[in-house]
Amino acid sequence: MSALTGVEVGQLLPGFSRTFTRADLVRYAGASGDFNPIHWSNPAAAALGLPDVIAHGMLTMGTALRVVTDWAGDPARVRSYSVRFTKPVVVPEVGGTVVTFTGTVTKVADGLATVSVEALCDDVKVLGAVTAEVDLG
Amino acid sequence: MPISEDHVGRSYPATAPYEVSRAKIAEFAAALGDGDNPAYAGADPIAPPTFAVVLSSAAWDAMFADPDLELSLSRTVHVDQRFAWQRPLRSGDEVSATLTIEKVRARGATAIIGISVALATTAGEHLCTATSTLMHSTGEAA
Repeated sequence: MSALTGVEVGQLLPGFSRTFTRADLVRYAGASGDFNPIHWSNPAAAALGLPDVIAHGMLTMGTALRVVTDWAGDPARVRSYSVRFTKPVVVPEVGGTVVTFTGTVTKVADGLATVSVEALCDDVKVLGAVTAEVDLG
Repeated sequence: MPISEDHVGRSYPATAPYEVSRAKIAEFAAALGDGDNPAYAGADPIAPPTFAVVLSSAAWDAMFADPDLELSLSRTVHVDQRFAWQRPLRSGDEVSATLTIEKVRARGATAIIGISVALATTAGEHLCTATSTLMHSTGEAA
C-alpha cells in the first residue's frame, strides 16, 4: 500500500449515518456469536431496566471504525482502537435508530495518525473516547 | 469469596484454536454494514479489525466459568474496549485467545475488572491484544 500523505491535525474525515434495525442486531449476533438476549428480546431488555432492546456495544464500535477504514483505504493500517461504551443505542422493534459517525485527525506523529471518532444518537454521544491509531506508511 | 484484588494475575488456558474463514469474515463485514469493502473479500481477505472480538469474547467464558470469582455475564456491563494489533487477522489464521485478569477494584457489591486477552496463532505469532474494563454487580438479581 502507498503512504497516506498530507494528513493534518484538525482534518475532518467523511462521516456517515447508519440506521440500526432489529434485523441488524440479529445479524450481528450471529456474526459475532454474542447472543445476549438484551440485543433481541424485549422482555430480557425490560428485565434489566432498559427502555427497549439495545444494540451490541461492539456493533456500534465496529461500525464507528468505518469512518477510519473508509478514509485510510486499507483497514490493515489500523494499529489500535479504543472506545468507552457511554450510552446504549436503543433499537425499537419497528423502524430503527439512526447513529451518525464523524471523525477528526487529532495527532500526527512518528508515522501514525490518531483519529477521534464521534458517534451521536439524537445528539447524544453513545461512545466516548473513541480513538484509533492509523499507520500512515 | 467473590472476585477480589487477590485474583489479579490469574490466567486461563488458551481457547481451542479457531480458524478464521472467508465466509465468517464476509458475514462479519456485512454485519458491520461494510460488506462491499474489497479488503474483506476475495481469495485472501483480512478480517475487519473488530473481528478480534469473536476470539477475545470466547476467552471470557473461562473467567465467567471460574467458580472462585462468582461472576455472572448477565450482571456485567462492558465499560470500555481497546484493541492493539500486530497485524490484521486473515483467512486461514488459526487463533487461540488467552485471558488474564489485570486489575480488580472491588467496592461493596460492585467490582471493576480489567482484563486482557492475547490473540496468537497456534504457531505462536502474536496478533492482537484486546483489553476490556467490565463492571460487575452482585446483590440484587438483575
